[in-house]
Amino acid sequence: MFVCLCNGVTSQVVADAVEAGATTTKKVASACGAGAECGRCRRTVRAIIEAAGTIVDAKGN
Amino acid sequence: MDGTAEGQTHTLVLAMDYRVPDPSRVWPVLQRSKPSLVDLGAHYVLVYASTRDPGRVMVTISLHSKEPVLEVLRSRAFLNWFDAVGLDDIPAIFAGETVDKVTLVEAPEGTAPGVIVGAFAAITDVPSLIAGVHNGLDRFAAAGVRAVRIFQAFDDQHELLILQELDDEADAVAWVDHPDVAAEWMGRTGVGAYPPVFVGRLQHIMRLDENA
Repeated sequence: MFVCLCNGVTSQVVADAVEAGATTTKKVASACGAGAECGRCRRTVRAIIEAAGTIVDAKGN
Repeated sequence: MDGTAEGQTHTLVLAMDYRVPDPSRVWPVLQRSKPSLVDLGAHYVLVYASTRDPGRVMVTISLHSKEPVLEVLRSRAFLNWFDAVGLDDIPAIFAGETVDKVTLVEAPEGTAPGVIVGAFAAITDVPSLIAGVHNGLDRFAAAGVRAVRIFQAFDDQHELLILQELDDEADAVAWVDHPDVAAEWMGRTGVGAYPPVFVGRLQHIMRLDENA
């Protein structure tokens, strides 16, 4: 699935970033660019982080 | 990413499953967007409305394009559509191609369209899954499945969209609650970027003439 249309980032790339230690949407954006532009894909990014069993901070960032 | 040479026309299917405050706004927006759909190379647009989750829709767009998938998706058209229906969070978009299509029952002309059960899922062994479907077609037919269409993502060979058409809502609910053993995708939805199983009916279909 293409998660971030601005930067053309797929769910697989986001999942790889999460597996490599990106446990917040900000860290994912830094790692692969997903959510770094308009930010409207962050809900999906967050769902991928949560699916990976990682902890999202209280702000959900 | 899409397995085609640059400049070569390829066929792709885009699918997006999302919730909107007012689903009735989706179709008029797409109708008003015919010029941009033609520009993208779209030849079919289908809109399904969920029968179980109010506000949830699934839109599929079949298109021929010379542009790489990424360029198609970067078109401002998608964000414009989401903006026009009041969507702040954009859904993940599936981009792939048909890898298997089985029609079990040819519905007589005039028969109402069935109920669509759609599933986005990651599958480890896609050829084995397709073989399992073909081996289980008798059971699928007995469960009221009219047709199965399997799409494989360009960006991830393990990622599939499976659309199943069933006779009616009761069969669809029974299929969702107790799917056939060959329909392993049914238990792999609703994780990460993948939405839960979609159950709905076709509401609108648009056929576009690319030369219009």
